[in-house]
Amino acid sequence: MLLESLDAQNFRNLEGKLYCGKNLNIIFGENGQGKTNWLEAIYLLATTKSFKTVRLQEAIRFGEELAIVRGSIQQSAEIRRNMQVALQGNTKTLAINNKKETIHRYLGELHTIVFNSDELEIVRGGAEARRKFLDGGIVSIYPPFVQTLADYNRVIRQKNSLLQSAQENGFSVEKTAELLEPWNEQLIALAARIYKARIRYVERLQEVLEKKLFGKEEVSIRYVSTLEGKGDLSDYAALLEERLKLRVQAELASGHSLIGTHRDDLDILFDGHDLRKYGSSGQQRSALLIIQLATLSVYHLQNHEYPLFLLDDIDAELDYRRIGQLLEFLSGKTQTFITTSKESFVERFGAGAEIFTIENGAVKTL
Amino acid sequence: MLEYSEPVAKLIDEFKRLPGVGHKSAQRLAFYILRRPEAEVENFIEALREVKEKIVFCDVCNNLTDVNPCMYCASPTRDRSMICVVEEPYNLVAIEKTRSYKGLYHILHGSLSPIRGVGPDELMLANLIPRLMPQNNEGIDVQEIIVATNPTTEGEATANYIARLLKPLGVRVTRIAMGMPVGADLEFVDEVTMDKAMTNRHDI
Repeated sequence: MLLESLDAQNFRNLEGKLYCGKNLNIIFGENGQGKTNWLEAIYLLATTKSFKTVRLQEAIRFGEELAIVRGSIQQSAEIRRNMQVALQGNTKTLAINNKKETIHRYLGELHTIVFNSDELEIVRGGAEARRKFLDGGIVSIYPPFVQTLADYNRVIRQKNSLLQSAQENGFSVEKTAELLEPWNEQLIALAARIYKARIRYVERLQEVLEKKLFGKEEVSIRYVSTLEGKGDLSDYAALLEERLKLRVQAELASGHSLIGTHRDDLDILFDGHDLRKYGSSGQQRSALLIIQLATLSVYHLQNHEYPLFLLDDIDAELDYRRIGQLLEFLSGKTQTFITTSKESFVERFGAGAEIFTIENGAVKTL
Repeated sequence: MLEYSEPVAKLIDEFKRLPGVGHKSAQRLAFYILRRPEAEVENFIEALREVKEKIVFCDVCNNLTDVNPCMYCASPTRDRSMICVVEEPYNLVAIEKTRSYKGLYHILHGSLSPIRGVGPDELMLANLIPRLMPQNNEGIDVQEIIVATNPTTEGEATANYIARLLKPLGVRVTRIAMGMPVGADLEFVDEVTMDKAMTNRHDI
């Protein structure tokens, strides 16, 4: 898939139209001019969401009622589709080729992966960000996984609620265990599916991980189950069942579900060290990029095409040597959009790239 | 201070108790009632009163009925060796529309949901086990319990609970199948349902 062009009406401060290049697109401008807003518009077109806000009406230009983001997508040599997201107050209308579409049909036309400071949570935040990263990757190659995750979260919520009321009512461990059984049985089946899917996905990432893309430091990843060291993980369901039986008392005392895939994590190591504790900001960015590149490759292996890669403010903490290595890797693979405020960046990497200069949200044609 | 005079505010409050009715709908309903002729409103009141007076839970299966036991439990032609367990009376109606199920029913009036404070004691389950005894079932042995709760996590937990309760008694407990809707085009089936249907495929 290829984003051929993009334009917007009343979406933040955007004006004009991007005629996108097949490979590298550099969105250049001084800070505060609206470079990121263009990336946000691409992201909105692909996902119908914003990476900046959950309240989309904030993106409608002040004093206007209706904001529209439009893009022309080349899906294959013969097929071009016009995608459109219209925002009006709280409502959002989606259309493909000027025909209204449900979100279900709309999604899946255009895929993106974003690198920005929020995504850095994956390498320096809590385990939840990493689980979300893995689950999002799995869903992109196996959509029905969404339901497994939703069911699992629902079971955990029900179970937590049960544990809290058992605690308040002073139920015995035996009575609690009995009440937990119907929920634990589902929890075991769903957790086993999630565990298996995540293990397999991490394996696939490992297979394509460019460990040393940025030189001698090596990035490695490993899925960490909370059941590690507690028994035979190859029969996850049986082990989880056994652990759940043993831990009823502890779960009752805490009022929360203590074991399951909602407590698992992904270890990201930089030269064998925990990146979160010991990594410098530059190392964290490098590692995140290496992991995201692996996500791109796995997606490509499955779908035979690459998602769009959106990189915001990449030069803030990554030196030009690394950026050069990154762009070389991406060249001929993804359609890439990079924002930068540095002229030296454009001079160095602009050859062969499409360059857009942004002033006050508008694309300045040279 | 009340937005409306007391009787109107009271009516709006009562409408707001109904499921799915928010403040705006409740206002609309209240003003609709105010504009109708008195006789029409009397009919409405009478309908409400009658439904509360005449409709009771069937002692046997918990169905809502104006005769006790209900028409299914009292029918001489139904197959008394099978009991289908459903969450709500309207689920029974859905199964009856098939015209192919001839057994009996048992209605739980809900499903397990700790979030909503529904545990096993809140379900109408206590009168199910006695039904398995032939002396309570016109001398007929119950062979099979079909659990037709919804395919949600709550419905699954309920099914699971019932299976644990009944299996030690030696009765066969089955769960309804999940998958493709019949008569629908494959292209209109969502991927989750399709995935289930692929997993639960069978030989032909």
